[in-house]
Amino acid sequence: MDTLIDLGGGFASALEPLSLAFALLGVLLGTVVGVLPGIGPISAIAILIPVSFGMEPVHGLILLCGIYYGSMYGGSITATLIKTPGEVASAVTAIEGYEMARRGRGKAALATAAIGSFLAGTLAIIGLTFLSPVLVRLANVFGSTEYFLLMATALLLASTMSSGSRAKALISIFIGLAVGLVGLDFQTGLPRQTFGMSLLSDGIDFTIFAMALFAIPEAIRNLALGRGAKDVIQSFGDDKWMTKQDWQRSAMPWARGSVLGFIIGILPGVGPSLASFMSYIMEKRISKRKSEFGHGAIEGVAGPEAANNAGVGGAMIPLFSLGIPGSATTALLLFVFTMYGLQPGPLIFRDESGLIWTIIASMYIGNVALIILNLPLVGVFVKLLKMPKEILFSSILVLVAIGAYAIEFSLFGLMLLGIFGVIGYLMDKGGIPLAPSILALVLVPLLENNFRRMLQISGGSFMPLLTRPVSLSIIVLMVLGIVGPIIFRWWVRRRQLLADVSVA
Amino acid sequence: MRTLTPALRGDVITGIAVTLVGAVYYVATFWIQETKNIVTPATFPAIVGIALLVLGLFLVGQALYRSQKIAEVVPSGTTSAGSASASGGADASEDVVDVEPAGVVLDAPEEPKSKQVVLQFALFFIYLGILIPVGFLLSTAAFLMTMTSIYAPHRWVRNLIFSVLFAVVIYVAFVYGLAVYLPVGILG
Repeated sequence: MDTLIDLGGGFASALEPLSLAFALLGVLLGTVVGVLPGIGPISAIAILIPVSFGMEPVHGLILLCGIYYGSMYGGSITATLIKTPGEVASAVTAIEGYEMARRGRGKAALATAAIGSFLAGTLAIIGLTFLSPVLVRLANVFGSTEYFLLMATALLLASTMSSGSRAKALISIFIGLAVGLVGLDFQTGLPRQTFGMSLLSDGIDFTIFAMALFAIPEAIRNLALGRGAKDVIQSFGDDKWMTKQDWQRSAMPWARGSVLGFIIGILPGVGPSLASFMSYIMEKRISKRKSEFGHGAIEGVAGPEAANNAGVGGAMIPLFSLGIPGSATTALLLFVFTMYGLQPGPLIFRDESGLIWTIIASMYIGNVALIILNLPLVGVFVKLLKMPKEILFSSILVLVAIGAYAIEFSLFGLMLLGIFGVIGYLMDKGGIPLAPSILALVLVPLLENNFRRMLQISGGSFMPLLTRPVSLSIIVLMVLGIVGPIIFRWWVRRRQLLADVSVA
Repeated sequence: MRTLTPALRGDVITGIAVTLVGAVYYVATFWIQETKNIVTPATFPAIVGIALLVLGLFLVGQALYRSQKIAEVVPSGTTSAGSASASGGADASEDVVDVEPAGVVLDAPEEPKSKQVVLQFALFFIYLGILIPVGFLLSTAAFLMTMTSIYAPHRWVRNLIFSVLFAVVIYVAFVYGLAVYLPVGILG
């Protein structure tokens, strides 16, 4: 009951004209930026963080959450119509959605994506509303041992669950940690890893790192490609939005995707991208129309899009209640909280309960706004796809430069931006995923502080990890979480091998 | 080394680079002042440096091991170098990229020429360098004009209008809308 009262209070302030305006603006801005080819939610938030600098915390956070939702949906539009996913999560939409669009079913693809996102997103926020208080109560028994373990788990999961080489994902995490440790040590005030440069003693700003990694390599790559082959933009014709059959075929994938996405989203370190992949694989396996997959099966859009958005809501749970981000994007949001001097976790529900419930309430509103604004406006957004690349990407470079300037007000900050842009480009070229390092960078201080506290309390012994019941259960879950997927992959591969053999 | 495919050669280079970064990072921890705490300020950085070093070496080892496996699969001499690297490439990408289960295949993005990349980065660094002394309006308009003109020289009128307009609109939006004061430079 308390939860409903809190939520009611949240709605009361989220429906104030100014809050409402920021929620709508965020969704709209997010969609616009998310539609731009090559710009996913992470880049969208990273580029737009400077916009929220001067705002009231509650408005800034409402705005950025709206941007997150909007950019996810914007990414689906791009994936469907020009097959350029802005991020991994919409990569599967780029397969089935694009095929649907090629067959003149683009409107149906966008509609099933939008409606599925809305339903799954709303369900996930309902889950967030009622699960967070429970988790907050649970978190009261957490000590530094548990926090350290959870963060280490988040990082480990982020490396095992990402697509691609596990070693490279780990490298990405350690690069993030390495960058995060530069600067004065929190406990002793001693300079670390500054290579004698006093300018580095303040550490490397998170936003600069995020903007450099997520905006610069993509922009430079596209600008350097020059006038290549133009993207073919599929029109979505004057076909019907969704037929009765489309509704019937989408309903179950939406439901399955929502549940799957939500559960995966809650896991620390596992973002929504895995959710959309898993959902796609699941739909393909369950479907009676397997042959349609790869040629525009609506289930292959409905499921993953729902899973993707449910994953966002799920990922907010560990962020809000424990202060542990589940993905690179939520890591950005965590940074925004700390930028305003707020520390998500059990305490925020006690000390800043008005603020946190307003943000949760605004998420419901954002989801509704998304579907009201976006389906009718899709024609306008599609025009953005026609924006010339050189204009788009050179503008992005200017925007990140402004962002870096607004943080440091110095040449040093600008140069850091450029240098990390080069590092990001090289990482990308070497096949090292960028997202895990963002997560690691955000977690460094918490990870190290809890590690130190744990060992100081125990006098240097690692035994508390095993003797504390809560921490032991986390370890058990962690082992299951890491061994489980490996067995799952092995099983999928085996099945595939068997299937290939039987076909041959 | 003859059978090292492009993907694996990339891994070797990446691995070596990561190893070097890890080594430098680890050595840099020697300069951190010692304290008497159980976990000293140097503990974490040292762990990170060593981890990077080990992971880099692992990547190199893995690539060399895989290339050896490919060499065993493709008997040397029976196929031309070209087809060997082609089949090796497919093999490697299956393991290295670790394509999603049930085969969700993503299109590999196009790779630009290195020379172009260096040029673009150089221009960006020049922009970052002049932003404060010259001021936001002038340097941004010049930067945008350069970037768009390299890409589409024949549309210089459009480029000029865009460059000036974008610089002015962003300046006004940030300075008057968001109270983020951008450098005025020589115009100030």
